[in-house]
This record gives sequence, C-alpha cells and structure tokens, in this order.
Amino acid sequence: MPRTLRVLVAKLGLDAHTIGVTVLARALRDAGMEVIYSGLRQTPEMVANTAIQEDVDVVGLSSLSGAHMKHFPQVVELLAAKGAGEKLVIGGGVIPDEDVSALKEKGMAEIFTMGTDTRDVVKYLDTWWADGDGAP
Amino acid sequence: MSQDSSTAGRPGAAAPPGEPDRDIAEEAARWDRETLAPEVEAHGEREQAFTTQAMKWPIKPVYTPADLDEIGFDYLVDSGFPGEYPYTRGTEADGYRSQLWAMSQVSGFGTGEDSARRWRAMLERGLNGIIIEYDLPTTNGLDSDDPLAEGEVCRAGTAIDSLPDMEAALDIPFDKLKHLTSVCNAPQPINLAMIIAALENKGVDPRSFTLLMPNAILIEYTCVGRYIFPPEAGLRISTDVIEYTIANHSNWVPIAIVSAQLYAARATPVQELAFSFSIAMTYLDAVLERGLTVDQVAPYFSFITGIDMDFFEAIAKLRAYRKIWARLMKDRYGAKTPEALRLKLMGSPGTMSLTLQQPLNNIARLGIQMLACVLGGGGQQMTTPLHDEAHALPSDEATSVGIAVQNIVAHETGAADTVDPLAGSYYVETMTRRMEDEVFAEIERIDALGGALEAIKTGYFQKELAKQQFSRQRELETGDRKLVGVNHLVKPEEERGIEMFKLDEDAESRQIERLRNVRAERDEAKVNECLARVEAAARGTDNLVPPILDAVKAHATHGELCNVLRDVYGTYHPDSLTTGV
Repeated sequence: MPRTLRVLVAKLGLDAHTIGVTVLARALRDAGMEVIYSGLRQTPEMVANTAIQEDVDVVGLSSLSGAHMKHFPQVVELLAAKGAGEKLVIGGGVIPDEDVSALKEKGMAEIFTMGTDTRDVVKYLDTWWADGDGAP
Repeated sequence: MSQDSSTAGRPGAAAPPGEPDRDIAEEAARWDRETLAPEVEAHGEREQAFTTQAMKWPIKPVYTPADLDEIGFDYLVDSGFPGEYPYTRGTEADGYRSQLWAMSQVSGFGTGEDSARRWRAMLERGLNGIIIEYDLPTTNGLDSDDPLAEGEVCRAGTAIDSLPDMEAALDIPFDKLKHLTSVCNAPQPINLAMIIAALENKGVDPRSFTLLMPNAILIEYTCVGRYIFPPEAGLRISTDVIEYTIANHSNWVPIAIVSAQLYAARATPVQELAFSFSIAMTYLDAVLERGLTVDQVAPYFSFITGIDMDFFEAIAKLRAYRKIWARLMKDRYGAKTPEALRLKLMGSPGTMSLTLQQPLNNIARLGIQMLACVLGGGGQQMTTPLHDEAHALPSDEATSVGIAVQNIVAHETGAADTVDPLAGSYYVETMTRRMEDEVFAEIERIDALGGALEAIKTGYFQKELAKQQFSRQRELETGDRKLVGVNHLVKPEEERGIEMFKLDEDAESRQIERLRNVRAERDEAKVNECLARVEAAARGTDNLVPPILDAVKAHATHGELCNVLRDVYGTYHPDSLTTGV
C-alpha cells in the first residue's frame, strides 16, 4: 500500500487570514492525507525548513495580503537550494490572474484562487501522487 | 365612510359584537389542512426543508399571529418603542428621519501621503467617515524595515512607523470629517498616541470629530490573528486605552468589538453575538475593576457588525443585538442610564458574501445587504465593502459605487423614512426572539467555560468557528447552498474585466527611507529615556498611554515601542489545536 501523502499548509508573511488553510487542512485530512500546519507569520526560510524537517511531499502556501509575488517564489528557490526541489509547491489566496502565470513561471506547480472547490485540490494532489511525480 | 366601518368586515379584524372570536391558531391549522396541504401535494416544494442560511432554523410556509402567541410575544416587553428600553426597535426615537447614518468607508494604502490623497477625495465625494486600515507590519507592531515586513509594507493598508507618518496621513479637511475609525488592535495605545500627537501639532480640536478605536484585541485571538502579546497582556493594554480615553477624550469611543470579524470567520449570528458580548463583558469587568461604574463606562462600548445575505436573519440579528445588550447591561450590571443601555453599533454589508467570480454581481449583493442594514437599524454610522474586494484592494471606481449604494438606499427606497418598519412581522418577531434566546443560552455556555478569556485560551471559540468554516464551504461545494457565479449560473471561461488597484511599486522604499531619516534626525538619548519609562509602566500598573505619548512625540517608532512591550509581555504562539486548524 502506498504511504500517505504528507502536506504542509503554511501562512507566509504577516497575513493572518486562516479560513482557507483551516478548511483545506480539514478537507485534505478527510481525504486521508497527513496535514501539518505551520502557524502564523512564517518566513520563506521557516517554511522551507519545516517542509524538510517534516519530510512533506507537498507545500501549500497561503497569502491573502498581496505579498505572494515576493514570498511564494522564495520558498521554491530555498527548497531547490536545500536539495528539496522535488517537493510540490502550490499556493492559494487572493491572487490576480496575471500573477498566477508569473508564479507558475517561477516554479509554483499550481495556484488555487478564492472560490476553489477543496475537492479540486484533493483531486489535483491525488492525481499528482498517483502519477508518481512525487515519488522519491 | 369612516375608517372604522371600512375595516370592520375585513377578514382577520376583530369580530363584530355578537359573533364568536375566531381562534387564529385553529384557523391556521385548518388553512394548513384544507388549503396548503392539497397545494403542496399537487406541486411539491422547491426544497425538502427550508431553513435560514446560517442558523439552519426551519422556515414555515407562513407566519401568523398564532406564532407570536406561541412564544408569548408581548409588544411592550419584546419590542417597546424606538429610543426606549429594550431598544429592539432602535436606539434613536426618530430613526433615520432626523439624520441619516454617517457614511464611511474603509480605506488605506501606501504611505501616509498616498492614503491622505484618497481620503481627501472620499470626503469631497460626500463621505463623512473614514475607517483607516493599516498595513500588516503596522498592525503587527513592526517597523517598515523589519525583515518580517518585507513585501507587506504599504500594501494592505497605510504604513505608520512614526509621528511624521501619522501627520502626513491626517492631512485631510477635518471640517468635513465626523468619524475617524482607526483599526490597529494590538498596538492600539501607540496608534492612539500618534493620533493625539498629530492633532496637537496640527492644531485640530480633538472634540471636532469622533475617533473610534476597535482596540478589542481579544477578538483577534478567536479569528483573524493580528495579536502580538498573550491574551492577558492584550486585555491589560486595551483596558489602559479605554481608561485613558474616558478620562481625557470623553467624546471618543475607545473600544469597538468588531463582531464583523467573527461573522467573516463564518460565525453564525448567534455565535457572533454571544462571543462578542462575552468578550465585551470581559473588558467591561476589567474597566470596572479600576473603580469606574457601569453607567460611566458602558456608553463607551461599541460594536461593528457584518450583514449576511439571508435578509431576515440579518434583520433579526440587528434587532436582537440591541435588545440583548440592553438586557445584559440592565440585568447583569444594573446599568440605569439610557446611554449605558443603548447599543452603539456600526453595521456593514459583509465582505464574506462577495464573490470573486462575476464581481459586478456583488453590487446587487451590497444593495440588498445595505437595505437590510437600514431596515434593521445598522447604527448611526455605516459602511459598505466594495464589489471588487474579493479580487484585491478596492479600485477607485469601486469606491464611488460603494458610496452610491448607500445613497440609493438612503434616498430612493423609502427604507429610512419610518423607524424599524419590519417590527410586527410575525416572521421577523419570531426570529428576533429566537435569536435572543439562543444568544443568552450561548453566553451562559461561555460563562460556564470561565468566560471569554478562558474560551480563547482553550480554543473553544476557534474550534467552533473552524467547524462552521468547513460546513459553509461544504454547503457550497455540494450545492446545498446556491451562490450565483460560484455554483449557480457559472460562466466557465470567465474574463475578469474589472479595474484592479495597483500599488505604486516604490511605496515600500519611500516609506523605509522616511523611517531611516526620522531615526537619524531625532534625539536618541531622549528616545531611550522615553522607552525606559514605557517599560516601567508596562512592568507596573501605571497606564501605558501617557509614557507612550511622550515617546511618540520624541519620534520613537511604532516597532520600537512594540518591542518594549514584547520584552515585557512576550509574544503569543498558540498550538495548532488551539487555533482550530
């Protein structure tokens, strides 16, 4: 039996809107994944370190304050620099369309904006995991 | 023909002498059997069960006087008259007939100058209230050059590092301003001190407008999360602001429980009111301990609520809000003066009902919610969120539309022309009473847990909210609740043709440059001496505001002052369980 997918959900920067991560954490747990929550006010460095220490497969970043362009790509870069570039990094929050494509160019796998159905996130992760993209 | 004879034969009117009274409850049962049941049998109903949106209370097909009899509704006890206890029908005897509500809007971005430019335009366009939103470094008590602040400076609100920033921000025509609301919960004493000092330097009379400070940090531990210090320290800091303001600026409002934050975190109306009142009573107890009486203190308490899309639930909430406060103050605290019993409320259409999809639809939502605010009595100051807020910070055009929405309801609908027009509605009165009963039951539950402070520390509020957050999301995903543009009338490939607010990219660097100049030009020894006095007050029991005011005038920065308080009180890091995630 394949092992359970491990996901870190993280609040980056000073933004403290937690409904998205609360709801998503519950939905992912209900779908059988292990979910770790970072707590508030994390720096990209803190998130990258937690992701490595906790040996997660997926890092989900949340920002609703508009600082996503600054913070999200830094996590991708730090993970790569620390030899953990295989982890899937996804993001969510209040993110305009033009930023979505820019973030993908900078290595974010997917961006889920407000109004996303949590079942779509579950499906996305299940598909990625089943395809073996995340296998070590 | 006289009025009497024209109504005598009307069904439902009192029976003429000689004829037996028809019992409404019996008639309702008969109607149900003979008229309704065959209809439902023939056509069915749209839903298996109709319920209110948030409370999930069953909704009957029709409400009659029999429903009021069933709950023992007594007009004089339950409703009374506007401007009189229990204030169900409003705190003002003449409603909005003598004066419309003050129209405010939340705004703030960039540097002080950037915000002042927009605020001047807003005041020119007919608003008379501004609700200042600060950027996240400011509300989190960090200076703009703090490493944690990178990327967030000037973004979600205006950046205030030192007194010169506040002076630049308050470069507005004070003759047009009635209400200023300053939302800076955790560092509220510092923020208050900067406003006082800026007004002094400008020669503005602080009595010429009302300053309202949310200053209710306890709500930040239940949701939103803009806390810095542990809850007990947060409570002490807020209480200092309340005490100082009552003594020195008696026309200002030093605390507003923003129950709208709980609403935005998906609290049901009953949770919103019960949690907020429990939090308010925790503050009230803390101020009373300092030797003031409830009649002196209660008039300084205010509340800010958010209105959801269930029209009648929203109206019942507003009516119950006033009634419960009056009852709590009278029965629990023995308040006697009308000022202490009268709820100070600011109502606002809720941001959480706005959708990212098809954003123009949000204008319709805002109009409906604004109408509910006026019909239910949303207070003497109201505001509207803006239709593009789900996207990003509001654009200039959205600001104009928001002002128009308030004016359309005020001047085109007639809703503001009589007081509490939905009173006496069998449905609204039934729901108002149920709201009241259930809020009191929930307040008792929180009392049994040891009050709001304990409920925060054990995560009770947070966990209850997390449950609601998940079930509300599930309802949308399963389609149990229809939301246009999200799960109903969805446009698959939607173009988001809406003007988005663009922040000037160099705002952050301009802000940091000014901060550095302020630090370079000030008298460092004086700043250190002031900071030491703030520390002494924080370690002892002296009110924090006077030494902070001196420090602010010496150009100590916002972040430096918060750091002094961090050293004394520590910072708060709840575990994952307590946060409800």
